[in-house]
Amino acid sequence: MIGKEDMTSRNTGLESRTKILIMMICGCLVILLDSPIALLVCFLASLVLIAVSKPTLRQIRLLLLFLFFTTWGLIYSQGMFYNAFPRTVLITLVPAEFPFIGEWTGGIKIYREGLFHGIIQSLRFNTTLVIGCYIVWSTQPRDLLLALGQLRVPGALAFMVTTALHFIPVIAGETAAVIRSQRLRGFRYGQFNLFATVRGVINSFRPILAGNIRHATNLGESVESRGFSPDIARQRTSLHTSQMGKWDYCLLALLSLSLICVIGLKVLYFCYVNGIYYESWLRGAYTFTREML
Amino acid sequence: MVPIQIDNLFFTYPSREKSTLHGINAEISPSDFVLLTGPTGCGKTTLLRTINGLIPHASSGTLTGAVRVNDEDVASQPLAATCQQVALLFQNPDDQLFCTLVQDEIAFGLENLCFPPEEIKERITLALEQVGLTGFEGRRISELSGGEKQRVALASICAMKPQVLLLDEPTSHLDPRATHDILNIVKQLNTEIGITVVLATHRVKEVAPLCNRVWLMHEGQLYLDLPRAEAFQDTSVFRSLGVEVPETENPPSPIKRKPSTNTTPHHPLLNVKDISFCYSNSDKNAVQTISCEVSRGEIIAIMGANGSGKTTLLHLMGGLLRPSSGEVKIDGKTSKRRKLHQLAGKVGIVFQNPDLLLQAETVKSEVEFGPKNLKLKSEILQTLVTDTLAQFKLTDFAAEAPYSLSRGQRQRVAVAATFSLHPDIFLLDEPTTGQDAHHLQHLMDELCNQIWQENKTLIFATHNIELTQKYADRVLLMREGELIFDGTPNAAFSDKELLKNASLAF
Repeated sequence: MIGKEDMTSRNTGLESRTKILIMMICGCLVILLDSPIALLVCFLASLVLIAVSKPTLRQIRLLLLFLFFTTWGLIYSQGMFYNAFPRTVLITLVPAEFPFIGEWTGGIKIYREGLFHGIIQSLRFNTTLVIGCYIVWSTQPRDLLLALGQLRVPGALAFMVTTALHFIPVIAGETAAVIRSQRLRGFRYGQFNLFATVRGVINSFRPILAGNIRHATNLGESVESRGFSPDIARQRTSLHTSQMGKWDYCLLALLSLSLICVIGLKVLYFCYVNGIYYESWLRGAYTFTREML
Repeated sequence: MVPIQIDNLFFTYPSREKSTLHGINAEISPSDFVLLTGPTGCGKTTLLRTINGLIPHASSGTLTGAVRVNDEDVASQPLAATCQQVALLFQNPDDQLFCTLVQDEIAFGLENLCFPPEEIKERITLALEQVGLTGFEGRRISELSGGEKQRVALASICAMKPQVLLLDEPTSHLDPRATHDILNIVKQLNTEIGITVVLATHRVKEVAPLCNRVWLMHEGQLYLDLPRAEAFQDTSVFRSLGVEVPETENPPSPIKRKPSTNTTPHHPLLNVKDISFCYSNSDKNAVQTISCEVSRGEIIAIMGANGSGKTTLLHLMGGLLRPSSGEVKIDGKTSKRRKLHQLAGKVGIVFQNPDLLLQAETVKSEVEFGPKNLKLKSEILQTLVTDTLAQFKLTDFAAEAPYSLSRGQRQRVAVAATFSLHPDIFLLDEPTTGQDAHHLQHLMDELCNQIWQENKTLIFATHNIELTQKYADRVLLMREGELIFDGTPNAAFSDKELLKNASLAF
C-alpha cells in the first residue's frame, strides 16, 4: 500500500508550480535591479532556497563549479570588453603600441568599471542559475510536467522541457563515452592544430545527437503508448494531489509584492530623472531607489 | 477478449523506397502466446508498432492494409483507446521509464487515462504483485537493477489491464536470471489472466518452450506462421535465415584456432593488481579488490549478472577509468599516468552501444580515423584501411554513411574502426545486444580470426554462455563487483552452484 512512509522519499518542499513561479519572479527582479547590494540579497536568498532542499555533496560541488566559471567568465569578459564611459584602466595587458595586436585593438586593458559591471551581471546570472538547479534537483520530471501543464504551458513544450531535463545525466554519460572513444583512437583534444580539434568536436556531435534522438523517440513512444498526449496534459488525473500550501502562498505573495514595489519605484524614479513627474514627499523613495535598487 | 486481425499490411518509412512490412496477413486468437522472430532488420519492431497503433499515430510513413483489434481499425481509433487494449513493452527499460519513483511510473499511464486516484493505488499494488515487486512502491527507479527496471516497465503497462501484450526484445539487456524471471512473469500473465502475448526476440531457445505459435519474419514478410509443435520440426528454414533454433543439443564446441603467425612467447600483457573502483555518485565499490594477469593471445570472457561490474572492469582494464585503489599495468607500464590518446594502438574498445563510436561521414573515414590520428604515411594508411575494410567485409559499404546501415553492420563498422589500429588488447562490451545469431557469429568469427592471426588479446563482457563456450579460453565470473572465478569455461560451466552464484543459472 502507498502509505505515509512511501511519501517521505518524495521532495516535500515547495510545490512545483511555486518553484517555477519563483524562478519567473526572480528572473524579472534581477533584470530590474541594478544595485549590487540588492542583487547580492537576491543571490543569497537563492542559496537559502537550495540549502533548504538538502543537496548532495556532488550537487554542491557541481553548483560551485558552475558558479565559479560563470562568475569568472563574466567578470573577466566585462572587465576586458567594457566600452562605456567613464572607465578607469586598472591593468594594461597589451599596450596600444604593441605590434599588430596592440595596434589592431588599440590595446587590451582591464577596466575597473568593467569589473564592477561583471560582478553585477554575474550576480544576476548566478541567482537564476541557482534557482534553476534548485528546480531540477528537487522536482521529479512528472511533477514538473504536471506543474507546467497547470501553468498553461503548451503540452508539447512542457514535455520537451521535462524530457530534456530527464536525459541530462544520460547525455553527459554518452558524451564522456564518445570523447573517450575518440581519444583511445589517438585523437587529441587541445592539440595545436585548431582545425583538427574543431573537427573532432563537430564529429563528436554526430553520435551524441543520434543517441539523443533515439532516446527521445523511444521515451516519446513509450509515454504515447501509455496514453499520454500533449493535448490531455491538463486533463489527466494525479495520484498525488499537489496543492499549494501556506508557505507557497506566503512566499509567492512576498515575492510578487517585492516585484510590484520594485517596478513602482523604478517607474517613479524614471519619471523623476526624466522630468516627467516629481513630488517632494517622494524624495525618500527616490533616494532609496537610487542607492538600494 | 481481443482477437487481432492483420489484413494485407504494407508499411514504408518516409526515407525508404522499399517497404519494411510487405503484405502481412495474420490472426491472433485470444490467449495466444506468439513468438515473433527473424533476422535483424526483418520488420519485427515495425510490426509490433503497427499492432499497437504507434504506426501511423506517432510515426510518419505510408501504411496500407489494416490492423483490427476487436473489429476496430487501429489506424482510425485514437492511440489512447488502443493502448488500453494493446500494450507495448520496449527493449531498453532506461529509455521507457519516465518517473523517479516506482509508484509514479506505474501511475503515469493510469493518470493519462484519467483514472481516479483510489483506483490508481489499487492497480499499482496489483501490478507490482503480478511482476513480483510487492513493496517496491516508494523505491527510486535509478537504484533498481536492469531486471527490476524491466519488471517496473512491465508493471506500468500491466496496470492498464491490456488484453494484448506486445514485447519487443524485452530481455536483450538482461542477464540469464532476470531473463528467466521476466519470461516467467509473461507466461503467468498469459496462462493465469489470459493476456494474449506477442514477443519479438532473437533468443528463440528461451522463449520457444513458453509459446504456442511461432511467427518467422524475413524481409518484411511473414515467412512462417505455425503452431509451435510444427514450427521446429524442420529447422532448416530458421538456420537458412540465421535464426537461433531451440534444440537440446550438446553445448557448442570451441572453434578451432588458426595457428598464429606470430611466435612471440606468452607474457603478461595486462596486469591487474588489487583494483577497486567507486563511482562518484555511489558509496559502494563497483569493482572490489580484483587481481588477474592477461597474456598475449588469450580470449577472455567477463561474465556476471547486470550490475555485477563487468563493464566497469573492462573500462578499468582499458585505462578508460582510473582505479580508486590498486594498479593496472598495460605492457608493463601503469595506466594511471598515461593519457588515453597514448594508449591508442595498445587498447581498443567497442561499447555495448556501438553507435557511440560512429562519428565519421563514411565507413571508410570511420575506419581511417584512428590510423590517421597516429599520423601514418599515406601509402601505409591506405593499405591499412583497404585491408581492414576487406577483413571485416565492409568494402562494398566504404562510401556509405555508417548510420544508414543496419544494427549488425554498424557494429561491424565499430569493430573494424577499432581494429584498424591493431590494438594489443581489444575490449568488446556485450556484443550480443540486439544481434541475431547469424550476425553475431559472423562478427565473432571475423574478429577472433584476426585476433588469433595477429596474436592479440580479446576481452569481452557478456551474459551469453554459448558465446563464451565457443570463443573464450578463459572466463572471469563476477558477482557484486568481486571476482568469484578465474579459469576455463568448462570448469566454470560444470559448476552449477558457481553459475547460480553469478546469476547465470537459476
